[in-house]
Amino acid sequence: MTTQTSTRPGSRPALRLKFNLRDAGTLIGLFIIMVTFSFLSPVFFTVPNLLNILQQSSINALIALGMTMVIISGGIDLSVGPAAALSAVLGATLLASGVPVPLAILATLGVGALCGLFSGTLIAYAGLQPFIVTLGGLSLFRAIALIYTGGNPIFGIPLTFRSLINSDILGIPTPIVIVAVIALLLWTVMNKTPLGEYILAIGGNEEAARVAGVPVKRTKVTVYVLSGLLASLASLILIGRLGAAEPTIGSLWELDAIAAAAIGGASLMGGKGSIFGTLIGVIILGVLRNGLTLLNIQAFYQLLATGLIIIIAMLIDRATRGK
Amino acid sequence: MEQFRLTMRGISKSYGNAAALQEVDFSVRPGEVHALIGENGAGKSTLLNILSGVRGADSGEISVDGSPVQIRSPLSARQAGIAMIHQELQHVPELSVAQNMFLGRPLTRAGGWWVDKKAQLARATLILKTLDPTIDPDTPIRNLKVSQQQIVEIARALLDNARIIAMDEPTSSLTPREFDRLAALIGDLKATGVSLIYVSHKMNEIFRVCDRATIMRDGRQVGVVNIRDEDEESIVARMVGRKIDKPDHQAFVSDREVLRVEDLTRGSEVVSASFSVRAGEVLGVAGLVGAGRTELLKLIAGIDRRTRGTVSVNGRAVRNYSVRAAIQAGIGLVPEDRKKEGIIKARAVKMNMALPSMHRFTAAGLISQSRLGREALRVMGDLRLRPLDIEKPIGTLSGGNQQKVIIGRWVAADAEVFLFDEPTRGIDIGAKSEIYHLIEKLAQAGKAIVVVSSEMTEIIRISDRVLVMREGRITRELTGSAITEENIARYAIKDIDPGA
Repeated sequence: MTTQTSTRPGSRPALRLKFNLRDAGTLIGLFIIMVTFSFLSPVFFTVPNLLNILQQSSINALIALGMTMVIISGGIDLSVGPAAALSAVLGATLLASGVPVPLAILATLGVGALCGLFSGTLIAYAGLQPFIVTLGGLSLFRAIALIYTGGNPIFGIPLTFRSLINSDILGIPTPIVIVAVIALLLWTVMNKTPLGEYILAIGGNEEAARVAGVPVKRTKVTVYVLSGLLASLASLILIGRLGAAEPTIGSLWELDAIAAAAIGGASLMGGKGSIFGTLIGVIILGVLRNGLTLLNIQAFYQLLATGLIIIIAMLIDRATRGK
Repeated sequence: MEQFRLTMRGISKSYGNAAALQEVDFSVRPGEVHALIGENGAGKSTLLNILSGVRGADSGEISVDGSPVQIRSPLSARQAGIAMIHQELQHVPELSVAQNMFLGRPLTRAGGWWVDKKAQLARATLILKTLDPTIDPDTPIRNLKVSQQQIVEIARALLDNARIIAMDEPTSSLTPREFDRLAALIGDLKATGVSLIYVSHKMNEIFRVCDRATIMRDGRQVGVVNIRDEDEESIVARMVGRKIDKPDHQAFVSDREVLRVEDLTRGSEVVSASFSVRAGEVLGVAGLVGAGRTELLKLIAGIDRRTRGTVSVNGRAVRNYSVRAAIQAGIGLVPEDRKKEGIIKARAVKMNMALPSMHRFTAAGLISQSRLGREALRVMGDLRLRPLDIEKPIGTLSGGNQQKVIIGRWVAADAEVFLFDEPTRGIDIGAKSEIYHLIEKLAQAGKAIVVVSSEMTEIIRISDRVLVMREGRITRELTGSAITEENIARYAIKDIDPGA
């Protein structure tokens, strides 16, 4: 959604909520898929199931939102999965050894932020390619997590933390509320703050942004730190649900995130993307998985469906935008 | 009987409404070195592009050794015996010398499936022996010095049995000693009957190696001369034509110095530039492409790093040089290439305008769209953006309007120093005069303005003073009635001594 003010000079600016055409298209796609499934399975369109979809998608949602901002800035973050794994094992260790929950949460988020700082600094200040840097980060973070845990899971996450994650807020599962709050926050950043403008500018034309005085380096570091933060937030939800942390979690998370962002309208060239669109993309993927599971279709076909959806979304993109 | 190796007759080419070449005749004799002379924008590059098959002419004919040829592509140009050696050498750095020589048409065996590297190496060695035996055909070409790379390009041309070789600014990266060798090589080629077309701004070189010269101006051929019969003055005079009268130029120059540049240096691109600009003054910077004018502006704007030197605005030196520091000091650059360095084409006009001044429209971390919108309407209205739609993506605007938005950017940022790099490039005639008017308005408002331009008439029209740059240095300052095309050309082109 974008806001527009009237352009006629002298008139009182009127605030209108204008639906981004691309987002509308994605919504229609979601609608079609949901309608299809509700016909095919009687269980699909029930409140428990829909809530289930949202809850299952909450982790991908957080990763995808961070990924969206990185993609809009013209970069990519392939290291989100391992960054989440590293945060998870560290957080689990702290929680299991009795560290106060708020402190442990902060420390976990700190790990994610550090991972992002690592990538972001190399990309912004050393001028290295995001693809390569985060690819390296992917291996690096995974290795550290495995070495630290010896490959073994960490058990013993206290109930206090687990009940935090597994509770409801006003009847809605906490993870969904977390995603909603974060989405709102990021939407505000992208649409209402200078940082959002800078991200769009850098992704649109980095050289022009630089000449126009945009703090390019600082902004780039910020988006990667945010991506890392969201990865660690996602890991907190995961370990809260599972009660344990494995160093191998997060595998292929980046692909689901990129898929969601792309379905939601983000262009991998940078300069274009939408928080709302990514959310719809996440839900589409979640609905797909859920629907196919309800229909007892094998997981392999779910992978097929995911891949097809992505390609179809891109083709529709090409056809409607011609660019 | 073939008097001419190459004849180009009646060549015309237009890009849209702009005529790049008008009925140009150009002929080269066998075994002659023929100079192609003209200012930037005179049409030399276009003519060469047509000759080498990169572009097609709208009309006209080309004949080689008396027979008409159709040059539709670089390949057909090569087949006609025409080879072009560009100013920016075109090779693949990682491949070997021999591979580069055969780029695009390798020697093959087994019906085209197998590249015969041995045969390539052998032929390359043979040809290079006559040109420069010190070049090893097997080494990656990037290991060679630029002068040697150039010789490889010549060898490549000879491989195709080129009888016409065009060289575009061949000595821009050569030392005087290397030029001597090139001159000797050119002499050898001449002796074998090859015709050479030599494009250069360096008069001393032209006088040394060339036999005849064709002078171009504004897309027309204005003269063909024998070098022996001419001197530099007469050629320069023909390049620039008659004196252009300065239309009424209002000066708003005050006494207050706003911008001071001292000893500003960046390697050999910009050497020890020192000057000052007062409030209300328009300082033009003239010179050829490659003279360092754009680089100078980029240094002042904080985009490139300087080797040494200082820039001060209103008496305060700009420290910790960066784009942001320069902007904070009140410096704004309107870049040469809008598309590449100016606009964020998908974003709205108002956002493009507000980019350096975000803090002015931000309260408690959030952008006040109403305040931003109001300011954008005010500034762009002042600059006469028509239609006044600040919500449209800037990429949809015309070149002239885009330029106004970039100017508006710095007005909104309260800049004191406005740097313009080719302010009317790619802008139609109507919008051009509007831009000049805007520059005048800025001067009237007490801003210090520096304008880099390759268009003589433009610089002469809007400048109070003119600095002429050549090879990184400011060679001359012109004021008042001394601001003429001849003077600018003289100090932009003339070599005082080749070894300097």
